[in-house]
Amino acid sequence: MTTAQPNAEGTAAGQRSAQEAVEPALLAVEQLQTHFPIRKGLLRRQVGTVRAVDGVSFSIPRGQTLGLVGESGCGKTTVGRSLLRLIEPTGGSVRFAARDVRGQSRAELRRLRRRMQIVFQDPYGSLNPRMKVRSILEEGLVIHGMGDRATRLERMAAALERTGLAAAALDRYPHEFSGGQRQRIAIARAVVLEPEFLVLDEPVSALDVSIQAQVINLLAELRQELGLTYLFISHDLSVVEYLADQVAVMYLGRIVESAPAEQLCRQPLHPYTQALFSAVPSVEPSRRRQRIVLPGDVPSPSRPPSGCRFHPRCPLAEAVCREVDPPQVDLAGHRVHCHVAGRELDRSGGDATAASAAVAAAIIAATAGPAAPSPPRSDA
Amino acid sequence: MTAAPLLAINDLVTAFETPAGRLPAVDGVSLAIGRGRTLGLVGESGCGKSVTAMSILRLVASPGRIESGSIQLAVDGELLELTSLPERRLREIRGGRIGMIFQEPMTSLNPVFTVGDQIAEVVRLHRRAGRTAARARALEMLKLVRVADPEQRLDAYPHQLSGGMRQRVMIAMALACEPDLVIADEPTTALDVTIQAQILELLADLRRRLGTAILLITHDLGVVAETCDDVAVMYAGRIVEQAPAAELFSRPLHPYTIGLLAARPDADRRGSGPLTTIPGMVPPPQEFPSGCRFHPRCGYAQQPRCAAEVPPLREIRPGHFVRCHFAEEISP
Repeated sequence: MTTAQPNAEGTAAGQRSAQEAVEPALLAVEQLQTHFPIRKGLLRRQVGTVRAVDGVSFSIPRGQTLGLVGESGCGKTTVGRSLLRLIEPTGGSVRFAARDVRGQSRAELRRLRRRMQIVFQDPYGSLNPRMKVRSILEEGLVIHGMGDRATRLERMAAALERTGLAAAALDRYPHEFSGGQRQRIAIARAVVLEPEFLVLDEPVSALDVSIQAQVINLLAELRQELGLTYLFISHDLSVVEYLADQVAVMYLGRIVESAPAEQLCRQPLHPYTQALFSAVPSVEPSRRRQRIVLPGDVPSPSRPPSGCRFHPRCPLAEAVCREVDPPQVDLAGHRVHCHVAGRELDRSGGDATAASAAVAAAIIAATAGPAAPSPPRSDA
Repeated sequence: MTAAPLLAINDLVTAFETPAGRLPAVDGVSLAIGRGRTLGLVGESGCGKSVTAMSILRLVASPGRIESGSIQLAVDGELLELTSLPERRLREIRGGRIGMIFQEPMTSLNPVFTVGDQIAEVVRLHRRAGRTAARARALEMLKLVRVADPEQRLDAYPHQLSGGMRQRVMIAMALACEPDLVIADEPTTALDVTIQAQILELLADLRRRLGTAILLITHDLGVVAETCDDVAVMYAGRIVEQAPAAELFSRPLHPYTIGLLAARPDADRRGSGPLTTIPGMVPPPQEFPSGCRFHPRCGYAQQPRCAAEVPPLREIRPGHFVRCHFAEEISP
């Protein structure tokens, strides 16, 4: 992780270090913005905007995995689809292999998409039930003009084998397979095109625990053997912690914190990340942290709160949080957008451990009052 | 567990009659829940945990049928046999003595009635309360489950609420008549982790204050570890292991439980090679293997015994029951 993340340390510095880096990141995203209009009435007048992705920047070096975590509605899936322009972004830049993805023509984009593939969450919805596995896998090869009939067959059989299925699967329909096997087919469909980059959108969330581990191992193996680069999108922190090199946490269309995976798990600095990690139930008592229960629900991305978007649910929110969007504080690649955590970092002289502990202690002190099992407020 | 449990299930068999033959989704399950206790019933999809729960209230849809076994509920010092109770009396039990919380609050709430009406309906049915009293009780329940602005929410429709709020409403409905037992079927599976934390906290708090016993059905071992007193692990229609939660997680004895625990990814396992997996997949009921149903996937299986002989559920350590021929040898 020492060479990681050249850009996004503020634009000027980011550009400089990107040029200096031996190899620029395979994927570099700057201030990505994907807004959806809300239309109403007969004339479909625009009455509002859903700011699904609202200024997201990150980069992924070749061969690395970025885990993008967050809860439903935070915009993580929209980020993944915007990268491939399955949804058109409304602002910012996406550079893949030194090419500007947003500026590509239709034909150029198609060529680029062979190199950047996606695997979806639902292995039932993402495979056409009326197509045999052969047609599902062959479609991409034909579109991209890869090989004649015989070589296509070879490639398909190899892709299936690589994902742990027999070539005999080619002549069967998706419904003949279990959920885990279908996800293998979806992965085979992506890797048969020999891509460099995969967006994995909750690829194991619909699977049972025992099957989940099989697919996670498969993804790790493929990354190793084929030198793939992943954007791994998930709400499941334990899966991300296991697979990712770098983790970014999203909340309401923004990245609130990002750091190398181990660093983030050990010392989350943002109050939201701390609450998120503490909320994951664990079977190991040693890993159980004091649970921080956040009040309320995630606000609507069509009316994001002023200042720091997390402030209405943040136990540490102060006056400044309601008014000023927190700037990014960067500590040796551990980046956080938070007034309070930033201040704690300054106070502890840039010691992430001390700052993290101070933030956690403050949150627990602040949440212990109302959320404690003591008499509920309603009885008053 | 105490001498007289609140609910005792004995050798329950629930099967589905299909063109493909008889499918025993639940095949000889025995469970007991003491008053005020929380029992976690864990397993992967298709293991029969939900059918077990539905059988308790006789809500298994045709062609499913309880074939044999007994389900006894202690009510006012008397043991009621739920499998043979007349439908009219069973209706008093459902919602009155046993509350139910389902996974998907959007589909289990009626979209055309307000939240207040739906909670009040339960109270009016079981308590024969009047309109005003029922509405007052509904408001009280919304406050109890800590819904913000309860007065306004009373007149809200389910679609106007967030997922977490809807689940709170479900819990309010389930608890409105102060049942002795709540069956919660994957109550937090559809929710985000921070909302899940809120709901688990709420359930634990309500249990402490109301003394309600909970049968928690889930696939999430972490949720069980943090909320349950006792745990039963199901596989292919049978209970394979049962123990107090602390015991089960510190000393799992069944190869399936051991496999499930080892298959969980987390940061501690980073860089230590691939995750341990359980090979193969959960068999569907039409393909349940002979003998021990886990044997084709089990690393400890010894033939011909495991394929031929159904292992009994044996008490290996005090309170710790395991359905495995070789539990003693596996035990550390």
